[in-house]
Amino acid sequence: MSTTDTTRPRTRREAREAHGRYGRVQQAVNELDDRLGVAKGGRTFLDKIFPDHWSFMLGEIALYSFVILLATGVFLTLYYVPSQTVVVYHGAYRPLDGIHMTQAYQSTVNLSFSVRSGLLMRQMHHWSADIFIASIVVHMARIFFTGAFRKPRELNWTIGITLLILAILNGFIGYSLPDDLVSGTGIRIAYSILLSIPFVGSYLAFWLFGGNYPGDIIIERFYIIHVLIIPLVILGLLGAHLGLLVRQKHTQFPGKGRTEKNVVGTPMFPTFMAKTTGFMLMVAGGIGLLGGLAQINPIWQFGPYTDASKISYAVQPDWYMGFLDGALRIMPSWEWTGWGHTLPWEVFFPAVIFPGLLFNLCFAWPFLESKFTKDTGLHNLLDRPRDRPKRTAAGAAVFALVFTLFAASSTDVLANFFHVSLNVTLWFFRIAVFVAPVIVGFATWRICLEMQGGGHGMGKRKRALVVSRTESGEYTAVASEQRPGDGHHELDAEPVPRTVELEPVAVGGPRTGTTLDADAGVRRVNR
Amino acid sequence: MIRGLFGNRYVRSVAVLATVGLSGLLGLTAGAGAQTTTTTAPSMSSLNGAGATSSTGATTGSATGSTATGSSGTSTTTTTTGTTTATPTLTTAGSTATATTATSPTAAATSTISASGGLGSRFGLSTVLACKRDIEAISFPGGANAGSPKGSNFHLCVGGQLRAYGNGHSAASSAILYHLPPPSVIPTGKKLFEQTCSSCHGREAEGSNAAPPLKGVGPATVDFWVTTGRMPAATPLQEQADRKPARYDKQQAQAIAAFINSLDPAAPYIPKVNMQGANVATGADLFALNCAACHTITGAGDELAYGTFAPSLHVATARQIAEAIRTGPGNMPWFTGNLNDDQVRNIVAYVTQYIQHPDNPGGAGLGGIGPVTEGFVALLFGVGGFMLICFWIGDRA
Amino acid sequence: MSTTTPGHGPVNTTTVGGAANGDVATSEVDGHRTSVPMPVGRFDDPHQQPLTRHPRRTEAFIAVFMLIGIAGVAAFGGAYWQNATPWILGVTFGIGLFGLGFGLTAWGKYLMPRGPFVEERHTLASEPDEREAMAAALVDRTGIVVKRRRLLGGLLAGGLGIFGIVALFPLLRSLGPLPGNTLNETDWRKGTRLVDINGRRVHKDSMMPGGLLTVYPEGFQNTDSGQAVDQTVLIRVQETDLTTEKGRETWAPTGYVAYSKMCTHLGCPVGLYERELELLVCPCHQSMFNVRNGAVPQFGPAPRPLPQLPLYIDSQGYIRSQDGYNQAVGPGFWERTNQGNGPGTTET
Repeated sequence: MSTTDTTRPRTRREAREAHGRYGRVQQAVNELDDRLGVAKGGRTFLDKIFPDHWSFMLGEIALYSFVILLATGVFLTLYYVPSQTVVVYHGAYRPLDGIHMTQAYQSTVNLSFSVRSGLLMRQMHHWSADIFIASIVVHMARIFFTGAFRKPRELNWTIGITLLILAILNGFIGYSLPDDLVSGTGIRIAYSILLSIPFVGSYLAFWLFGGNYPGDIIIERFYIIHVLIIPLVILGLLGAHLGLLVRQKHTQFPGKGRTEKNVVGTPMFPTFMAKTTGFMLMVAGGIGLLGGLAQINPIWQFGPYTDASKISYAVQPDWYMGFLDGALRIMPSWEWTGWGHTLPWEVFFPAVIFPGLLFNLCFAWPFLESKFTKDTGLHNLLDRPRDRPKRTAAGAAVFALVFTLFAASSTDVLANFFHVSLNVTLWFFRIAVFVAPVIVGFATWRICLEMQGGGHGMGKRKRALVVSRTESGEYTAVASEQRPGDGHHELDAEPVPRTVELEPVAVGGPRTGTTLDADAGVRRVNR
Repeated sequence: MIRGLFGNRYVRSVAVLATVGLSGLLGLTAGAGAQTTTTTAPSMSSLNGAGATSSTGATTGSATGSTATGSSGTSTTTTTTGTTTATPTLTTAGSTATATTATSPTAAATSTISASGGLGSRFGLSTVLACKRDIEAISFPGGANAGSPKGSNFHLCVGGQLRAYGNGHSAASSAILYHLPPPSVIPTGKKLFEQTCSSCHGREAEGSNAAPPLKGVGPATVDFWVTTGRMPAATPLQEQADRKPARYDKQQAQAIAAFINSLDPAAPYIPKVNMQGANVATGADLFALNCAACHTITGAGDELAYGTFAPSLHVATARQIAEAIRTGPGNMPWFTGNLNDDQVRNIVAYVTQYIQHPDNPGGAGLGGIGPVTEGFVALLFGVGGFMLICFWIGDRA
Repeated sequence: MSTTTPGHGPVNTTTVGGAANGDVATSEVDGHRTSVPMPVGRFDDPHQQPLTRHPRRTEAFIAVFMLIGIAGVAAFGGAYWQNATPWILGVTFGIGLFGLGFGLTAWGKYLMPRGPFVEERHTLASEPDEREAMAAALVDRTGIVVKRRRLLGGLLAGGLGIFGIVALFPLLRSLGPLPGNTLNETDWRKGTRLVDINGRRVHKDSMMPGGLLTVYPEGFQNTDSGQAVDQTVLIRVQETDLTTEKGRETWAPTGYVAYSKMCTHLGCPVGLYERELELLVCPCHQSMFNVRNGAVPQFGPAPRPLPQLPLYIDSQGYIRSQDGYNQAVGPGFWERTNQGNGPGTTET
């Protein structure tokens, strides 16, 4: 209801008269709509329905920790100097006084000790990076085990796996930026992994590092990759990820009133917006608490990495790189040499081939599954994991494999903690990496079947036998009487109804002014 | 009533403003009370070598007189016999005795032993010659200040026996003063040794198939193993002995050390680290190059090959650290000529100050082993906590 | 008021207030409406009831948390002004935001209209004739172009293809030099003196058996290549413990043995020496090298022994290298052979 009234309303009554019942707000909507045409689409957006299941919020943890990464990261960029120029430190931390270090390290130490709230921002940044990747993994697990990756969402799944890879890469590069002793060791290992690639390895390594190790350029390159290149790609893919979600709408579990053709839940405005914004604040607050209470990456205790002949023991990469480090530790030393060349399998396989296989399996899974199940239909309703025992078992087995490798990256710490020989610990993991996925996969499969309540009396309560003895000494066993809960009817799994009628709901009439009970907590609306 | 209160918009505003103001004040006062201060080292006076270190040797027994006339000032030696505790005070040339700490319950007598540089005393040529033989006999190569008498500038001879040496020009200027307990404690040490150690190490310390021979290991080695409690061993055939509460105190350990040394004199002697003038930055640098590869950069310790391990450094005393560096116990390398006394002193200063009292301004230290515990916290408390919140917010199926 | 038609799913069944003026809406599906509009101010509709049965109490409860949140955030401001320690900053910040967030979320969960509301999914797929028209557009129009101008099409494809390859060149090659023979070289030559990190020369009498020192070629101890590539670990063992390999009889004078400190697995400095076991352990992935017989790996992922530096003692008693390493040091790479700048060669 746009108006060509040129006099600007001055009071609320005038506004209401000019633009209808909603006064100034209507005026604003009209102005925007004149220019952008957003009234109809905007209302659709506000009415958008979000299903309520708790597991649908896991992706939000990732999203909001990424927001915190961006915010704290901007702060850090204002102080960090990405340079390998060697300087002499004269600052607040005494054991480094007079020590030669790179400007990258010096700026990080200064940020930690001399910049107000600098250490808090650094720690929040690091904690939220760990949480970001962990929540992506948990979210990915939810998508996988409920089958949300199926048509039409294969592309979103692909984008998600790409986001995971980029996040892991950016995390590794990020914690290498301070150029301390511990992360410097990680950079050395990265160089050697590049070297191990046949044919092109030494070229790639020399090009990325600008020469032989260590070179004097890698920190600057890492910096630009970390703050510009990868975040831009992540932001773009994240936008596509969310855009696809809006376009294709969210999946939902089967249940009352839910079908393949609708979405049941809470509306975007105001309910979902309140919950999700509140959740964002809680995530920020939680990371703030972690950033203040738990120290992470105290680089001043590690010293600078100006000398590549120094090293510390008990050095592990951050948790999300752990599966690679564990694979490198347990791999036997099979290096192939011949005809003037060397192929170091003990590096190339665990660090390049294996993650390549793993992530390609992830990328290919939706297509593999639809091929094996011969299911090419559209799916907007989710599976319960127990209803797909094979998929759930396969996913659990892969998780067990990756988790075993992750645990294997701390062989020395575990051996120290449990007072076990280091050699024994390593052999334990070499065997566990094969045994654990098999056991976990099989057990998961059986548990799914059990939970389905399918066949062979699984999951059903057994009828007790009453044993009695006759006077002549003979024993007889008779099934006991049926107790509540016994029997098939109670425990048979019923197919989840796909369409259910909702009872109509009575509504009070418009403006009838139903007297509403104040004690029941509803207030009267005044018009 | 609450409804009425909250219903009134003026009350609401006042409540909010009051809360903002009060909490702002609270934050101001809390912040004022816990400001970020620049890092300062623990008070140096407690670590000052001149007379008040933890490694102050309390020796029992007599100090037979030897007076050295220094180039300036006078010095006196109190000769006492019998069991008195005397704390050798290390004074710089020209100053008189300073206060000593009494380190044992028996009567404390103050004796000052001050000596200038140079070999032995000017008491008599035969004393000097005997001492020189001593130095030659027990020295090992290592170049300057390697924990060996031969490379040291300062020597103290008493009764023809080398009793202390260091790299400085006087006792007080030596970064580390290596000293030997007086001979009077040897009978005590012999008794203790026979009681406890000889069952594995043999009555003449010749060793057995359960324990290595101890002849020629030197006093510092014995003092280290006994004061850290590793000896007597809980399980003699264990791959590597664990640190545990020491059974013998400092005097007893030194008595045993003196006895072992009497069987076959050897170096290094028991070190006493002088923290004055220590450079913790150099110490940190040396620690990273030489020590962190086994003990980790935060000194947390870790498991090594075949059941051996590098222990945590958090409870070692300055003396024990110097002893370990200079004697290479167990699988630890033996650092001699590759680290001089100044460097060892700097490492000890760094370990006792910053490894044992790390700067953790960021919060809980989480064990100082890095991403293992950090990942655990991030996954369990971070994502786990947030998942619990999701569980609260959302529906259950 | 609700119908279920097989194959199409139920129509919307929430009978809530309809258009903006608050009238009761019918429950029929309005073909133009994509969702059910929310009513205004209708709290008597069960769909509109808040989740909690005691809204006032809940509101007070949430208000407390909001106040805690405000307090926290304000306290953060005050603490920051006073340059407080990180933990105070973090705790105030955390409690503040968490309180506000908790309040807002609880408000949304317990007090706001929660539905359940229904939204129709529109079929993503277009009508079949639309799809065919799209395919036709692609095929026919391309066909016109390509069929008529095949030469140009081919040339374009070729040009773009070549550009795609060539575009990689500045992205890769400009970044750094070609490896050449660099990975096979170190700065150790015939007669190079061993020095420690401070530049002090190593004398044969400086270490006792059981000692360990990181050494570099003289003059290179403070350079990047000296520290990263030339780094060598010098160990003195009991001479009788050494098993000399063929051709290396003179390499370890008086028990001094020197190996490259760069692990042959991934290049970490192998600085962890176990004196009694005479084992060099790499701290990164626990490869264990036997010092007695040429640093042969006896456990862990390292594939090759650490290259050994041949030593000799000069006339003044200082330790020097007889020559460079006889092979490339460090981890494996494609061009690596076991031959490198071996004994007798000073150039490559």
